[in-house]
Amino acid sequence: MIQETIITIISALFILAGLIFFLGAAMGLLRFPDFYTRMHAAGKGDTLSSLLVVLGFAIYQLHDFTSIQSDWPVILVIFKLLAICTFIMITSPTSTHALMNAGWEDDIEPEVKGKEANDLAKDFPEK
Amino acid sequence: MEHFNIVILVLLVITALLALRVKDLLSASMIFGIYSFLICLLWAEMGAVDVAFTEAAVGAGVSAVFLIATVYNTKRRSSD
Amino acid sequence: MKWLALLAVCATGSLLIYGVSDFPDWGSANSPANGGVEGAGASISEVFIEETETLTKVPNIVTAVLADYRGYDTMFETVVIFAAGMAIFAIIRVMRDTEQTQDKTQLDSSVDGDHQRIIVGTTCRILIPVIQLFALYVVAHGHHSPGGGFQGGVILGASFILIGLAGNLETAMQRFSEKQFVSMACIGIFIYAGFGLLGQFLGGDFLEYGVLQKVLLTDGEPMARSHSMLGVEIGVALTVTAIMFAIYANLASKGELKNGL
Repeated sequence: MIQETIITIISALFILAGLIFFLGAAMGLLRFPDFYTRMHAAGKGDTLSSLLVVLGFAIYQLHDFTSIQSDWPVILVIFKLLAICTFIMITSPTSTHALMNAGWEDDIEPEVKGKEANDLAKDFPEK
Repeated sequence: MEHFNIVILVLLVITALLALRVKDLLSASMIFGIYSFLICLLWAEMGAVDVAFTEAAVGAGVSAVFLIATVYNTKRRSSD
Repeated sequence: MKWLALLAVCATGSLLIYGVSDFPDWGSANSPANGGVEGAGASISEVFIEETETLTKVPNIVTAVLADYRGYDTMFETVVIFAAGMAIFAIIRVMRDTEQTQDKTQLDSSVDGDHQRIIVGTTCRILIPVIQLFALYVVAHGHHSPGGGFQGGVILGASFILIGLAGNLETAMQRFSEKQFVSMACIGIFIYAGFGLLGQFLGGDFLEYGVLQKVLLTDGEPMARSHSMLGVEIGVALTVTAIMFAIYANLASKGELKNGL
């Protein structure tokens, strides 16, 4: 009983933290000035919050875990959720990078104070 | 769960109308992807997991790529 | 023209809404599917729900209905997909040789050749084997969990599309050439129809899987039906994989099958 309560609380904390980061990502997407900062908010916030929410689900699966003989399907579910975590961790930053790169190749100018502050232009002298 | 279904159905109507109204065909195909995911969610929620799986794989995954490939090789703006 | 189209859409829509009024009520227990027709025994839903497990040894009723009870329908669904792919070929495939204006350096298909795409290429290299493995799992495990030939085939085709999107179309075409995917699409349908014909040669009806137990060396008809469903699903998956990639390759390269997106 005590184990169930503790695990439910921990998983609820994880999911709540994930939702808070989701809120931050959504607000950043709406409030930031240009394409790159918006993608930054969406990419980072989305990755971390999805990870936290799925980890919260994985922890919640343990709430009535007693022994490995009787509850092995729970371990299977946790394994699948952790696999989803891994894939989110690999794919989400990559898709953010690909979108950013597409924006850069499509000549979307970042919003900078003064022309010198944009250091990215120095890295791509061909542009 | 009835309310959840109604929320999804309202969002479905909104995305369907938006996909028709938007002039930029690339945006329209992205909105069509959202439509597919919403209807996938609705089917999964109703218990038709096989259909939802098909919709997620075909509607949201592959047909969005087909639409984008077509838009890329034709013109991007819709005339009506 | 726009108003004519609107008129046609409104007419079709109102006809469809009129047709809906003939449907039984939502969730009605007396509809023909749930309650059965008077004087005709148990309804079809009851038969499927109660007897699928014993008759075919397949826990996923959806797969059993799709591949066995209405296998004829599914066979022609696969043919429809095949026909769609062939239509794409007929409409946009360019058969004459266009001159090779692109020099070889631009077509460097290795990850290092295009330094902008290192990150995307590496991620796809890591993920594509996992995607393909998952697709094969979906095909092979369609009896017990959601999935089956269509879904698995689409995911397998999407993994090849991902190769084409992350690198270029040449990289994908090296792994899955035009000759291969056209023949694979045909082989898929032949496998499906072959399972049907095999039943006829053994004295059953077309697509009657039960009589295949002598060929498939299973004990009893239910296991023969289960294994035949797996075979049929593999046929569907082959066709769908090939056609999905064929459609993408043709659409992305304007039918030239080179220098795609």
